[in-house]
Amino acid sequence: MKKLCPTADVPTGGCRRIELPDRPPLAVFNLDGRFYVTDDTCTHGDASLCDGEIDCDDGVVECPYHQGAFEIASGRPAGAPCSIPLRVYRVEVKDAAVFAAVDETEAVPCP
Amino acid sequence: MPVITVNDGEAVFECRDGDNLLRAGLRAGVGLPYECGVGACGCCRGEVVEGQVDDLWPEAPGLSARDRRKGRVLTCQSRPQDDVRLHLQLDAHAVPVIRPLRRTVRLAAVRDVTHDIREFVFQADAPADFLPGQYAFLALPGVPRERAYSMANLPNEAGEWHFRIRRVAGGEATGTLFDHLAPGATAQLDGPYGLAHLRPDSPRDIVCIAGGSGLAPMLSVARGAAAHPALAGRRLDFFYGGRTPADVCGEAELASLPGYGAQVRYHAAVSDPAAAEAARWPGAVGPVHELVERTLGERLDAAEFYLAGPPPMVEALQQLLQVTHRIAPERIHFDRFF
Repeated sequence: MKKLCPTADVPTGGCRRIELPDRPPLAVFNLDGRFYVTDDTCTHGDASLCDGEIDCDDGVVECPYHQGAFEIASGRPAGAPCSIPLRVYRVEVKDAAVFAAVDETEAVPCP
Repeated sequence: MPVITVNDGEAVFECRDGDNLLRAGLRAGVGLPYECGVGACGCCRGEVVEGQVDDLWPEAPGLSARDRRKGRVLTCQSRPQDDVRLHLQLDAHAVPVIRPLRRTVRLAAVRDVTHDIREFVFQADAPADFLPGQYAFLALPGVPRERAYSMANLPNEAGEWHFRIRRVAGGEATGTLFDHLAPGATAQLDGPYGLAHLRPDSPRDIVCIAGGSGLAPMLSVARGAAAHPALAGRRLDFFYGGRTPADVCGEAELASLPGYGAQVRYHAAVSDPAAAEAARWPGAVGPVHELVERTLGERLDAAEFYLAGPPPMVEALQQLLQVTHRIAPERIHFDRFF
């Protein structure tokens, strides 16, 4: 598990972009105190989901580019034009910090 | 005439002749985001903050229930009743290189390509101006809605627009084209549209992957690559996926390109094993994306991709390219039709 950031860095209903060397950027989301980690780049185009709108009621993030959408917990596409799931990572919260299994080669399957 | 103001003045354009918001904007050179132009992909969403629009297709699949709840519209399905103020994110990539125009065309020739694909050549009075890989809307006599078809040829001074169209069982438009429209008949053509066009400035090898009537835009891209001085000698792999051996096409056209057999290669796969066996098909059997991966090997990670075909094929290719091989979406070009 890789430490990404302190939990205090991600406000409730917000997200934070994390850049690690040699890999695409990640997004850490905080939905009402639960933390999720996904790839940050929309699967439809070159846009950062951390610049998008988070809809806490639906648990969805909307891409700022074409308003395509993904379920944050599963990565499942939730609005056209997105059709390829977003990669999501296993998360642990420990010592007030967010950790993610960023090196697991298999994406967590959509539940 | 309705005046459309985008993002409080970032762009302003007029909407003429019953145009929808998207086409009026593109005609004026405004970079309104879009892909399909027919209400399916959802790329052209926006919010009408003032004024009224007619919704040309209230059930369009491009809008989700959440979009409707938020009052969003598809610009490609919205016709303004009066002046409209619109909010959406403009996209510099969508600014048309060639602004679309309506024109009257005449059916000049028809020929069979396969058992269910025909080439229809339409003739206009002015030069046919488009980028390889783009499409146009055809309004056919007696058919209420326009259809989007991709050009198979290259832009030309002679004003010829070549379409390769697959007959759709029970389809109104293809029924008219295949059974009723005789050479000399006129139609209205509006184009060009589409962002999945040839990128001559890309330094990478070119891979075109087609299925069904996706042959047309991929042929145009391949022909455009072969004709472009900046791409002389560039490696080009052309893949075609058909269900049966009788569906396979495109090799003859590829074979007429310079460099065929050397830097230009054609590969085909048939997905129905029984049909392959019955016809003693000597080539690859299976979905075309498997042939792509097997044939390209490591070269796959360094190529520029152009895709056109049925949605399941395009989706399998996206999985292969974007998810398995992590190829950036900017290197994968296709317009999303459903």
